[in-house]
Amino acid sequence: MAESVDPVVIAIVAIYLIAVVVIGYYSRVRLKSAIDYYVAGRRVGSVVNGLALESTYFSPASMLGLPAYIFLIGYPFWWGMMAIVAGMPIATLLTAAALRKYAPVSFADYYADRFGDERLRWWIGIIVIVGSILYIALSLVGMALFMVAILKMPYLIALIITTIITMFYVVYGGMIATSWNAAMQAVVMTLAAIIAAVAIVWQLGGFEGVYYAALKSYPKIWNTPADAPDVPHLLSSTWIAVIGWFFVWHYGFATMPYTVVRFFTTMDIKTARRSIFWCTLAAGAFYVALQLIGITSKYMIEKYHPIAVAAGGNMTATQVLATIQKTYGIGTVTDYSMIAAVEALGNPVVLGILCAGGLAVAMSTAAGWAVVVNTIIARDWMVKLLKSKKAEERPIFYGRLVAFIFLLIGFIVAIQPPALVLDLSGWAFIVVICSLGPGLVLGLWWKRATRAAMWITAIVMFIVSMVAWLRAHLVLGHHARFFLNDILFGNPNALITPHQVWTIPVGFILFIIISLLTKPPEEERVQKYCVELTKEV
Amino acid sequence: MPWPPKVFWVGLLIIYGTAVLGWLLEATVKIQKIPTAQIWYTSIWATFLAPVIVSWMYFYFRERAEAKKAAEKKEVS
Repeated sequence: MAESVDPVVIAIVAIYLIAVVVIGYYSRVRLKSAIDYYVAGRRVGSVVNGLALESTYFSPASMLGLPAYIFLIGYPFWWGMMAIVAGMPIATLLTAAALRKYAPVSFADYYADRFGDERLRWWIGIIVIVGSILYIALSLVGMALFMVAILKMPYLIALIITTIITMFYVVYGGMIATSWNAAMQAVVMTLAAIIAAVAIVWQLGGFEGVYYAALKSYPKIWNTPADAPDVPHLLSSTWIAVIGWFFVWHYGFATMPYTVVRFFTTMDIKTARRSIFWCTLAAGAFYVALQLIGITSKYMIEKYHPIAVAAGGNMTATQVLATIQKTYGIGTVTDYSMIAAVEALGNPVVLGILCAGGLAVAMSTAAGWAVVVNTIIARDWMVKLLKSKKAEERPIFYGRLVAFIFLLIGFIVAIQPPALVLDLSGWAFIVVICSLGPGLVLGLWWKRATRAAMWITAIVMFIVSMVAWLRAHLVLGHHARFFLNDILFGNPNALITPHQVWTIPVGFILFIIISLLTKPPEEERVQKYCVELTKEV
Repeated sequence: MPWPPKVFWVGLLIIYGTAVLGWLLEATVKIQKIPTAQIWYTSIWATFLAPVIVSWMYFYFRERAEAKKAAEKKEVS
């Protein structure tokens, strides 16, 4: 890592931050009501909403975590990245169009109305809070890592600065600020990744150069489970593992609260459908760039990074990252591999654009989750359930207060993150999708979906997925191991099931069984949700 | 029972068909070992082109069906 702060990098990042402040200021002028704060007054067009969807959905888990995972477990992980983008269009007709027709304000509105139980808002809120804390924390970690790259400062100070910036950004803007800023941030982060990838591919002499560079630094990288025992990594050693990675994030776009609420902000159903097209277009380009950076990061760091060069070219990428970790006190340094690969280019303009893009991706995600959680607590819990007059009269104040508190909690978790940013993201995905996904999808597409099934699935799958992930992580050493491997097979590596992804089909099966065993829902509810909303999606 | 439109299933076939075919070719003939091949079929096609085409199909054919229906309604009235 270059020891001196580069003024070009700082200037590019400063331009980006000024743009954020300007857009935030003009958005605030337009912020007149609670509906503006929560769902941007439902007047966001398809291009802006599509780009905002992209930058909100993609977090540092994408920008830093996915290249870091290719760095760790090799080519078989590419399919997992493909699945994330491929999950976007599926949301169009599965949930987005129907939910926009319904036009609620909060993520919990749908569950409370569809299953006829206001108390569901409590439990859904708890699940969303867990996802929010994990996502806000990983976003702050990502921002702090980019700050380290920009200002060469200790990680903790970088984390404090980034938390303060995000607090100002979210607390004063609400969904209007996050929609317009998120659209701008999508452009910055997508261009940043493309420029960095093009620079690396150019330096290596085209796609063929990329192929051989990857092979040279990681001889097993192109192997799959079919090449056993010469697999690239234990976590990509079986087809069950490869397929598991494919599905961890695949259905998130259709079911995760921070994307689902963006379907509410569009002008109409046509705009909702078209916004997913724009989102997929930008996301596809972004991910191809990340794949190329991830596959070459080991080679780039070992051959061109200043620390490796200073050591005479005899350091491995892992040793270079360990040096960076020691110098700046970074908790989970593999996440820094993508930034280190671009640092290795020695081009401050490319690094500056990448850092601006990195801040963009992190700020938009933290903001998206902060808005989701403040809607759940300030509106759903305080106004709808506790009937608080104060919260009803001053919704924006309480929304901001909740966002402030959660950013503070995220900051505390981010000081010493419990796992890599992609691990935190995968955990949040699985917990939320297996407990709330069945009720969302089947509640729209299956007339027989019942209230009892919603309650039981949300409670049982939340507990099962939390316990399974934590046991695999803490007892077996990695969340990708099936959590009962030691008990059932006497071998912690017997089954590789990333992020306990099996809980998603189990959640759906449980929901179906309980629905079939319990009293069918009222006819008028079925008519409204399963006929009118899904008709002509 | 509500049922998604036909175009939804065509999109799913493109996406999951790509993944399953890719895995089959990788497991049997090791297609990913052909220099640069995996960049074309996993990145350019599967990560970029296929999802973009499917998301375009999902709004274009739905809007076309709606326009057709609206025209039919107008004719009847």
